[in-house]
Amino acid sequence: MKIIDRHNFISVVCISFTLIVCGKLLFEKMTGFTDRFYTENIFTCLGICVLATFILSMHYYLQRFPFIPVVIGQYVFLIGVIFVAIWFASKFTDMAPSAYKDMFISVTIPYVIGAAAYYISYFLQIKKANDILSKLD
Amino acid sequence: MMKLIKTKEEYLDENYLELHYDEIDDETVGVLERLRSALKYIEGTLDDKKQAVPLADMFYFETVDRKTFGYTKDTCFEVKETLQGIIDEYTDAGFVRISKSSIVNLYKIKRLQGDLNMRTLIYLKNDECLVMNRGYRADFYKALNKLQGKKR
Repeated sequence: MKIIDRHNFISVVCISFTLIVCGKLLFEKMTGFTDRFYTENIFTCLGICVLATFILSMHYYLQRFPFIPVVIGQYVFLIGVIFVAIWFASKFTDMAPSAYKDMFISVTIPYVIGAAAYYISYFLQIKKANDILSKLD
Repeated sequence: MMKLIKTKEEYLDENYLELHYDEIDDETVGVLERLRSALKYIEGTLDDKKQAVPLADMFYFETVDRKTFGYTKDTCFEVKETLQGIIDEYTDAGFVRISKSSIVNLYKIKRLQGDLNMRTLIYLKNDECLVMNRGYRADFYKALNKLQGKKR
């Protein structure tokens, strides 16, 4: 898995933002849903992409710490920042009653899928390495 | 494809390798490069006596209190090289960094095992166990894949 650093930070944000927006538009087209807060949601997506990429890039600098506390800590930080942002935004605009729940689901599901994929790829990499090592003898 | 023929000869004074070739191709060059590093010796100190140990016998190197120690199957001795110096000099012999303070010989690894915190445990052929930090995983797998390429 490629390490996110300052050289590829912007491109990672751009790619993930494009994929999320395309996914959002496809989903809305298929379900016939009309987003009343289109502009706000697009900028929310951008904000989440920047934040999530920043948090994932921190992973590189936290490599000397055990994985599970790091991944849980990063998740708590991410969801915490998002909840604070929702609370802050609610002071200036109307929020849906389910705003916290919606954002919790929108962030948790991709995060868990990403963490699981990372975890599985780690053990597959070890299995592949063991196959190579057995052939070296 | 290059063949490996092992012949047992009794009462031989010293083991030797002989290369039969018509043309030195890329595969042969790769094998020779690896052999050159693997057949090198490293000088170390054990019980105040200096001795040269074949690099191929080294299992791993470790830094403790700014001193570098080399470990074979059953002995340990101090070497004058730094870990970075060993990596610079002997990467081709299969040495790769696995943490800030240790280097392992890929040819002496029995198997790898992952734990829940994504620390990789490296079990050596002498049943010792080393821990690889997550930060060195990419370099480790790169070196292992390179080695596999050479073997082919």
